Amino acid sequence: MIFEALRLGPLTVKNRVLRSSVAGRFDNYDGSGTDTRINWDVKFARGGVGAIISSNAPIDPRGGIVPGYAGVERDDRIPFWRKLGERVHEHDCAYILQIVHAGRERILPGLGEAIGLSSTDKAEPMNGFPCRSMTIAEIGDVVRAFAAAARRAREAGLDGVEVAGANGMLPTQFLSSAINDRHDDYGGSLENRARFAIEIVRAIRAEVGDGFCLGFKLSVRERLNELLPWLPSGNTLTESLRVCRWLEEAGVDYLHISVGGGFPHPRNPAGRFPAADVVKTFDTLLSSGRHTFRNYLAFRTWPLNRVFSWWWERPSRRVGIEGINLPEARAAKQAVSVPVLCTGGFQTASVIANAIERGDCDAVTIARPLVANPELVNLFAEGHDRAPRPCTYCNKCLFNFVENPLGCYEERRYASREEMLAEILSVYRMPERVDA
Amino acid sequence: MNRPVPELAGTIFEPLEFRNLTVKNRVFRSSISGRFDNYDGSGTETRINWDVKFARGGVGTIISSNSPVLPRGLIVPGYASLDSDERVPFWRELGKRVHEYDCAYIPQIAFSGRQRDIGGIQYETGLSSTDKPEPLHGFPCERMTVAQIRETVEAFAQAARRVREAELDGVEIHGCNGYLITQFLSPAINDRKDEYGGSLENRARFALEIVRAVRREVGDDLHLQFKISAADYHDALFPWEPKGTRIEDTIQVCKWLEEAGVDAFHVSVGSSFPHPRNPAGGFPITDSIRSYDTMLSSGKNTFRNYLMFRTWPVNRLFKRLWERSSRDGAEGINLPEARAVKQAVSVPVICAGGFQTASVISAAIENGWIDAVSMGRPLIANPDLVNLFAEGHDQAPRPCTYCNKCLINFVENPLGCYEESRFKSREEMVRQILSVYEGAPLPSEVT
Repeated sequence: MIFEALRLGPLTVKNRVLRSSVAGRFDNYDGSGTDTRINWDVKFARGGVGAIISSNAPIDPRGGIVPGYAGVERDDRIPFWRKLGERVHEHDCAYILQIVHAGRERILPGLGEAIGLSSTDKAEPMNGFPCRSMTIAEIGDVVRAFAAAARRAREAGLDGVEVAGANGMLPTQFLSSAINDRHDDYGGSLENRARFAIEIVRAIRAEVGDGFCLGFKLSVRERLNELLPWLPSGNTLTESLRVCRWLEEAGVDYLHISVGGGFPHPRNPAGRFPAADVVKTFDTLLSSGRHTFRNYLAFRTWPLNRVFSWWWERPSRRVGIEGINLPEARAAKQAVSVPVLCTGGFQTASVIANAIERGDCDAVTIARPLVANPELVNLFAEGHDRAPRPCTYCNKCLFNFVENPLGCYEERRYASREEMLAEILSVYRMPERVDA
Repeated sequence: MNRPVPELAGTIFEPLEFRNLTVKNRVFRSSISGRFDNYDGSGTETRINWDVKFARGGVGTIISSNSPVLPRGLIVPGYASLDSDERVPFWRELGKRVHEYDCAYIPQIAFSGRQRDIGGIQYETGLSSTDKPEPLHGFPCERMTVAQIRETVEAFAQAARRVREAELDGVEIHGCNGYLITQFLSPAINDRKDEYGGSLENRARFALEIVRAVRREVGDDLHLQFKISAADYHDALFPWEPKGTRIEDTIQVCKWLEEAGVDAFHVSVGSSFPHPRNPAGGFPITDSIRSYDTMLSSGKNTFRNYLMFRTWPVNRLFKRLWERSSRDGAEGINLPEARAVKQAVSVPVICAGGFQTASVISAAIENGWIDAVSMGRPLIANPDLVNLFAEGHDQAPRPCTYCNKCLINFVENPLGCYEESRFKSREEMVRQILSVYEGAPLPSEVT
């Protein structure tokens, strides 16, 4: 099943494994792209994935999560994305640009506006990142900026765009009953909360036409109370399935299913909370939010850090990590007729093949296991069910990315620490070209 | 460039002849850059844009920002290194781009020692003459073995060889500001009992071995300058600390270094970096709180310092203590030390320290106190300062305020001038800072 072609609207992908949206801070602070980013993505294309979903590309200077990610907010970014697409295409791999506006989820706001935009004035609850409620005019600007970003992706010769609507990004901040406290056309009922997302999809379709693949990533269960127990849980699966149908009507070619109304979330990426690594890099965020100092103290202080780790790891312990979102994906698949991609810890060929055969999803997207084993799909093709040294879901990659180059920081997976460092730093070297 | 040189600028535009190199004027861009390169020490276009900006602005020579001679010698990740032969093509390209503006390029070869603001993922601890942590932040270190000393000396020599292979114009050994060579030179830091500690001769052994090894490797005809902290002012913040190296000691060390083959001295001060006298000026509390957080995991005193920077009135007290050293002004703060060095040696002396006024610079040169000046912050504020001097300005219309916000921001943000009062708006400031990511036009494209 894994190696059957997959149709995502106008786009055909050679197999059922897509690299999910993940990259380090490899680009320039101003959002211009670098060769390092190209090296990063080409590594996965070489490793056999059918398509790469780019890491979050901001559609607006204010929409970045953290500086150091290539943006798509201006026409002069197009040549970079074209070059990147060409290099990935050499490996018969499709390239889908994930377009994002972080809203209030800006872990490092950089030199731009100090305050993020959101559906609400309430600060992000975990770290206290400040924001203010968007005006109707600003909503219109952002919708148009999404459409313009999609046009740029098409002009760059890429294969599609995916709207980052999940994991607490700006569309989530509108969709979520736990976050959105507006009293206008964009708040209140589910229809109103979904208006922003639907407008984005329609505006993109109007801009790029039907011949360009358009996906939408959605957190179909928000479970914000698993992040902090005093928060409301947010959107339910039932509500999200209605949103899925509306998105389909509005013209999406696929849905990408995730969970969690914020990022990171105990279920995404599911796995461990590596307190020792967190303390080393979370310090960088101290000036970003009101609660970051409180959190930093908690992460440094025994036994608070133990309690927090225990709390964080509870969903993973209870339901397992690989395929943690399959029940939600299955529900989405039953609700819509477009293909459904599912993310969440996949790294075993038989698990993936069974999920597709059962009809839980049409394809899977993978981030951490590919960071650990970029060649995973080639290994599947050679008959391996798993990589010899699988991803341990330790989440050290996630917590290192703010300060250090993204890569697998699980020392136990390597013969030595030196081997690990050499592997991590290899991203700064251009991989050999196909014809070499 | 056939511009008439105004009276005011005087000697600034006279070429300076070193034994092995002649540069077109008396202003050097001092060693300064942001974290513009890759984490692994490979160079980027952004670094080229950064340096070319100053070459276009008219400085005669650019001294590169610190370039580690070994991976363990970095100060923070994100600076182009000279630690392997595969780095040579990048430096060659950078040199070519700078040479297009008739500007010389001198890499500064460096080893941080225990003064690693962000140690990075490769080594948990720094190396030093001592095993006592760096006192302000508490950065941990190991005492170097004699084998490690030899390896480091050789790494300096190999880095210098790479500079030569990259067809650059000379090399500067970073022997000051509390980095590894200072950690050996300074009696306030070096507590060794072997032949590298104790007497002045012993403390200077490491520096002299580096100079001799570099000379052996690059020959006698490559320009070699040495940057030295002429006085440690180790007690600048806390009067109960020892003073460290005094000018009398430095004069002796400079004589030895000259004998060993140094072609020029670059005079700075301070047993640490930053230091109240270098870069002399303000201690910007708000900016410190915003970017010092990144360093919390680097040392055992960083959390204490962070709390201090956040907490009124302790932060005010610290600010006053810090700024006390520069209460008589930042411009030319090191002239007394530089003058003393110049009197003792026969090679040219370059002086660092807040210079940004043509008449101040030319007076210091005409009086024979120094031969040239180097600038960091004032050029960040006004990269075209030397061209302004040539046009007859004594100062830039919006001079550097010595606020030190550039210094404090570099860890987290792109290096640039962060003094909002110098710009029409915050937007203009941010645009100016981010322009480093856009390539500068070639001389042929400049109208």
